[in-house]
Amino acid sequence: MKVPIHQFYELKMEENSGSAPPTSALGAQNHNGGGGGQQLFGSVNVSVANNKHQQLGGGGINDVDITGDNKEQSPQYSMPGVLHFLQHEWSKFELERSQWELDRAEFQAKIAFLQGERKGQENLKLDLVRRIKMLEYALKQERAKFHKLKYGTDLSVEEGSTGETETDMTTDGGGGDTETPFSSISNITWRQGRQLLRQYLQEIGYTDTIIDVRSNRVRSLLGLNNNQDSEDTNTPALNGNESTNKKRYRHPKYPKSWFSPKKEGCNKQQPSSIAEAMILDTEAAVMANFEFLAHTDIDMEEEDNDGEDEIYDSNTDAKQNKTSIMMEDVDAEAEEVLNELNLLTEHEESIIHVDLDSNDWNSVRRGMQPDSSRRPCEESGSSLGLGELAQLTVNNDAEAAYDMSANNEEACRRSWNAKYTLRSHFDAVRALVFHPTEPVLITASDDHTLKLWNLHKTVPAKKSASLDVEPLYTFRAHTGPVLSLAMNNTGSHCFSGGLDGKIHCWTLPSANIDPYDSYDPSLLSQTLTGHTDAVWGLSMCHPRSQLLSVSADGTVKLWSPASKVPLLNNYTSELDKNPTSVDFIWDEPHKLVVAYEEACVIFDGETGQVVSRLAGDATQGVNRIVAHPILPLVITASEDRSIRFYDHRSASLAHSMVAHLDAVTSLAVDPNGLYLLSGSHDCSIRLWNMDNKTCVQEITAHRKKFDESILDVAFHPSRPFIASAGADALAKVFV
Amino acid sequence: MAEGCISFRRTRPGTKAKDFNRWPDEPFEEMDSTLAVQQYIQQTIRINPANIDLILSMPESQDEGVWKYEHLREFCMELNGLAVKLQIECYPENCSQMTATEQWIFLCAAHKTPKECPAIDYTRHTLDGAACLLNSNKYFPSRVSIKESSVAKLGSVCRRVYRIFSHAYYHHRNIFDEFENDTHLCRRFTVFVTKYNLMSKDNLIVPMNDITEMNEIDHQ
Repeated sequence: MKVPIHQFYELKMEENSGSAPPTSALGAQNHNGGGGGQQLFGSVNVSVANNKHQQLGGGGINDVDITGDNKEQSPQYSMPGVLHFLQHEWSKFELERSQWELDRAEFQAKIAFLQGERKGQENLKLDLVRRIKMLEYALKQERAKFHKLKYGTDLSVEEGSTGETETDMTTDGGGGDTETPFSSISNITWRQGRQLLRQYLQEIGYTDTIIDVRSNRVRSLLGLNNNQDSEDTNTPALNGNESTNKKRYRHPKYPKSWFSPKKEGCNKQQPSSIAEAMILDTEAAVMANFEFLAHTDIDMEEEDNDGEDEIYDSNTDAKQNKTSIMMEDVDAEAEEVLNELNLLTEHEESIIHVDLDSNDWNSVRRGMQPDSSRRPCEESGSSLGLGELAQLTVNNDAEAAYDMSANNEEACRRSWNAKYTLRSHFDAVRALVFHPTEPVLITASDDHTLKLWNLHKTVPAKKSASLDVEPLYTFRAHTGPVLSLAMNNTGSHCFSGGLDGKIHCWTLPSANIDPYDSYDPSLLSQTLTGHTDAVWGLSMCHPRSQLLSVSADGTVKLWSPASKVPLLNNYTSELDKNPTSVDFIWDEPHKLVVAYEEACVIFDGETGQVVSRLAGDATQGVNRIVAHPILPLVITASEDRSIRFYDHRSASLAHSMVAHLDAVTSLAVDPNGLYLLSGSHDCSIRLWNMDNKTCVQEITAHRKKFDESILDVAFHPSRPFIASAGADALAKVFV
Repeated sequence: MAEGCISFRRTRPGTKAKDFNRWPDEPFEEMDSTLAVQQYIQQTIRINPANIDLILSMPESQDEGVWKYEHLREFCMELNGLAVKLQIECYPENCSQMTATEQWIFLCAAHKTPKECPAIDYTRHTLDGAACLLNSNKYFPSRVSIKESSVAKLGSVCRRVYRIFSHAYYHHRNIFDEFENDTHLCRRFTVFVTKYNLMSKDNLIVPMNDITEMNEIDHQ
């Protein structure tokens, strides 16, 4: 505003005289008196009249400046001028007053909104705490029931402890009593307050938007996103009040008996029962969460929002535990687990199985969650008479929050679970390979055949979480066990190497072929002959459609299957014999790395010369060698239970770890290079984080035949599937 | 420890074909795997495929259902070898029907309605069907114990796969002889089904002179 006026002055000055410097004009303006200054300030609040007035005043000043040199000339008042000024002042004050009023209303609305929000959250919290209690109770009951079913009678110690929990429940009930009036009162007052608020807001005319904002806010709060610019909702005084309240009714809720050695001892008395042990596990998890809760109770003053989140977490956990305890539904699994345990003799192994169990149980939990998410509510509602709880949660928009937190949980705890079992081979499955895009895979077995499987064509299996798949097509041409497999990048052909020294190239039939169609000999499109002994390893370089093979005849051969003379090159190392595995080095595709019985050697693919040998004396006994798809890493799986990482540029050892309890047989790197999958004769497959080389998951997948167990593992190149091939004639696919 | 390493019964990658699965024998009593019966059968076959009596003599305290089941699995698996040989020579053009002697035409049971498949398709379908049935989670969920009702299924599988032998014998004699020389499979199969009474003798149309004699001895 000031600038244009100023310019206006300058222009006038130049027109009229040009002698007086602009600063003097400014000074004159200042001199014009407080009124003028005020006018200027007032004019920020904009009124057309004001502007005009100033212009008039400005004209006057201008006159003065030109006419005289005496700066102390008193301003001249005229009646209309004064009136005008007063009028203007009045309107200005009026304006300000209305502004204040507006602000006040706004703040009041905000306060009301925040108070409402706080109340809502408080209620939610109460509700959730009650829910936790409910679930605790249900859990106890289920456990007692399970125990009864399992042992026929309640053990005396158990009885004692259940008695204790009974008393806990009564104290809980007491707690509930003190809580109920509190919550109901607060409910009523809160509801009234909310009604009032709504009216208020409607008067202001903000209803819709504010309510929208509010619900969004609540949602984001509960959705564990703390990214909002959180205006601290609670005054410290209120908060203190609240937390003391909470402490009053919450403390009896963490009964000491949960941690009591008596209960622990009772559980320890039956170490034979794996289910019991599992329950112990879950109980421990619940305990941990509850301890967390207790902490958050104290932290509540500072971190109200965070506390809320914790409660949500523990709540969903409790729910999961609850579902997992529903023994009747998962009886089959329990049975299986028990059977498996009976077969075990070694203590070590049984520990692993317990690990596996918790994995399995995870899967059960996850599987059951969708349909049972409402069950705990109904069940305990009937048993505790808290049916109105459901309504409460609906009022509080908690359902949505539940879903969101459950989803979050899902994302955090991504674990693989056995989904498909591929049974149709008669003997050990030596190798498997996935189609690059389709949910299709091929397995190769000691029974001389390859089989094609479509994971979308399943046979419904009774009482089992995993689905059975029947093979679509059986490839027969090898006259001995089939040892290795590879597929090209379009999925149109696959290659199989056998004990008979042959490499067969197969055209893949359609993924929807009738398994009992008539025989088409043309599917065997080509046979690469050249090896004189078992072909143990194949690797496909997709960009160039070239195939590498290693054979027990001591040679490594490079093929171009489509061309007339398929054999391109032959690599041999004079120092070494019996190559076991081969792979292209992906970041330098002209190189290849071969694992021999005694060493690992990097070849230049074009010249056939040895580039380097991987350092260290631990390069013997390598069963499988794979190159990382992105990093300059070569990974080896060896008979001495280790997985080793080498930098292939310097041929030096980067990392070494004992990865399994028995020989590591197979490796696979996921397409993004983030995870490593390993299979071992210890019957387990393990998933490793490539970053920190820690084991993310272990799955016991296959049984032993003689001393062999898992012979191959694979990642699907584009879909979330992993697979393992076992000496027990099965292949399994995990999702 | 080095001794221990050597005694692992596993075939490492890089092993030559002649050394495949060539490890010290393990007494059946020491096999604690769930696949002990298969292990034992394969072990005795590897020692000498011609020693049919040893291969088919069941260890004491072995469940007979599992014993028969595992043997049948082994037969079907080894029949893949015969099927591979037949694929080269047996075309739908010359063997448009599954026949052995001219007495019967066998219909392929792998289809919803039994179908008159060419011999090679019959062979493949029968083996595929047997693989599915013998691996079926419904009928054979365990390889440690087998339901009585499922044991009854073994007979029909035997009848069907035997036709592969008989077709090869009557129509592709050179293949049959070559295969039989290496594996003694048809002989073993004949003794097996006779011993466990899984097929009627009228259906055993591939002549096995000494076996019939042996059976007569058995019956005396």
